[in-house]
Amino acid sequence: LPYVPRVPPAALLGKVTATTFALERPCCVFDRHASAADTVWLAVAFANVSATFRNPPSRADVPPYKQLPTTHSYMTLETAAAAYTCPAPSPAVLRVGGDTACKDQGRQDPCNGPLPSPGPYRVKFLLMGCHGPKAETRWSDPILLRRALSPSTINPVPTRRGSDVVVIASLLASLGTVLATAVLGALGAKVWGSLCQRDLGTSAFARRSYWTHHIPPALPQPPPPGC
Amino acid sequence: MAKSEDCIPILQGLLVFGNVIIGMCGIALTAECIYFVSDPHGLYPLLEATENDGIYAAAWIGIFVGFALFALSILGIIGIIKSNRTLLLVYIILMLITFAFEMASCITAATHRDFLTPNLFLKQMLERYQKAEPANNNDQWMTEGVTKTWDKLMLQNHCCGVLGPSDWQEYTSAFRLTHYDADFPWPRKCCAMDAQGLPVNLDGCKLGVPGYYNSNGCYDAISGPVNTHAWGVAWFGFAILCWTFCVLLGTMFYWSGIEY
Repeated sequence: LPYVPRVPPAALLGKVTATTFALERPCCVFDRHASAADTVWLAVAFANVSATFRNPPSRADVPPYKQLPTTHSYMTLETAAAAYTCPAPSPAVLRVGGDTACKDQGRQDPCNGPLPSPGPYRVKFLLMGCHGPKAETRWSDPILLRRALSPSTINPVPTRRGSDVVVIASLLASLGTVLATAVLGALGAKVWGSLCQRDLGTSAFARRSYWTHHIPPALPQPPPPGC
Repeated sequence: MAKSEDCIPILQGLLVFGNVIIGMCGIALTAECIYFVSDPHGLYPLLEATENDGIYAAAWIGIFVGFALFALSILGIIGIIKSNRTLLLVYIILMLITFAFEMASCITAATHRDFLTPNLFLKQMLERYQKAEPANNNDQWMTEGVTKTWDKLMLQNHCCGVLGPSDWQEYTSAFRLTHYDADFPWPRKCCAMDAQGLPVNLDGCKLGVPGYYNSNGCYDAISGPVNTHAWGVAWFGFAILCWTFCVLLGTMFYWSGIEY
């Protein structure tokens, strides 16, 4: 079949995550070939081994999910072919890897478990009938899952100092310095002034000598001759 | 000289007016800082966990400085009206000490605001949100605080992550250690919720269908209140200090002119 599976082009934030990815629903693709009892499987394989993938001859040979680490491929999402007819029933996307419950139980049923590594993976749809595969689509383009970084790579240090800080700090520092200088200057001037006055007092006291006016004792003037 | 005798009441009047303004601004500063310390938006646990809560320290200093400014302004008014050298000297010295504390508060608030970058909150969210095994009591306290605050933020503001839900996909996190990526590409709180607090469409939320999950980042909801807090303390304190500087210079001039 000429259909190529692909990740939906719509803007869905979760269409590719670290362990899952979404696919467009292949509507009307199998109508011509499918009968009522057929099922459609999704084959998922690592991109480098997709060329060597062999379609299983019957349902019993379908590689299950837990074989993915060893055979590098598995098949899942077994659905009746009737689910892929037109018109498209909702939802319009299929989610590969969304079932976390079956990955621990290891059941033989088709398990849509989370993908263990980022891939890249290639997928194709396989129409299986009672006697084996009847039709298949082409392999998709390689789908690479997200790789998450460690949060220790985040650098929280701000890249540049804000200008507000510089303005506030510099203006406040200058105001504070002016005030401190003014207070010290005023206090110092007062102290200096009071010290100088005291000095003036003692030195003046020392210098101010007692000028003695030598006043000779006045001889008693003879009284002027009587009037 | 008649001129200086005329000038003195004017200078006294100006200084009393200046001190009245300082008193009122002191009360306003105390009220503003009490409002910020009461943490109306509940963001304090985030800052406490980053050990970067300098803006709260600045607000605490602001409370006491505001009260001191009010008390000292009353002292100043009394000293100016009575022209008492001793009172005014005490006023000037205590005002200088208060000035120094307020300077410290302003510079602390402005400097610590710069540390609160999106990357800081992102790193803390990834390392602490729903962390399973805390190392000690202090770690557990901070983890609980961060988790509760983020849950409340994401629910009330309809946002997810710091820059968006892709934060949870781009980085591994403590949350990722306990929650499968297939079930929880991002926390449940990022999904659009109905009235009962359950996701409207869980599959839609996991896939990222627009409308079923919160696509905005929460950084705006965090930085808005934090900025108001920091700049409110820093710039209002700076304005008070500029005014106080002028009043103090005038008071010193008046003090030096008082005769014994």
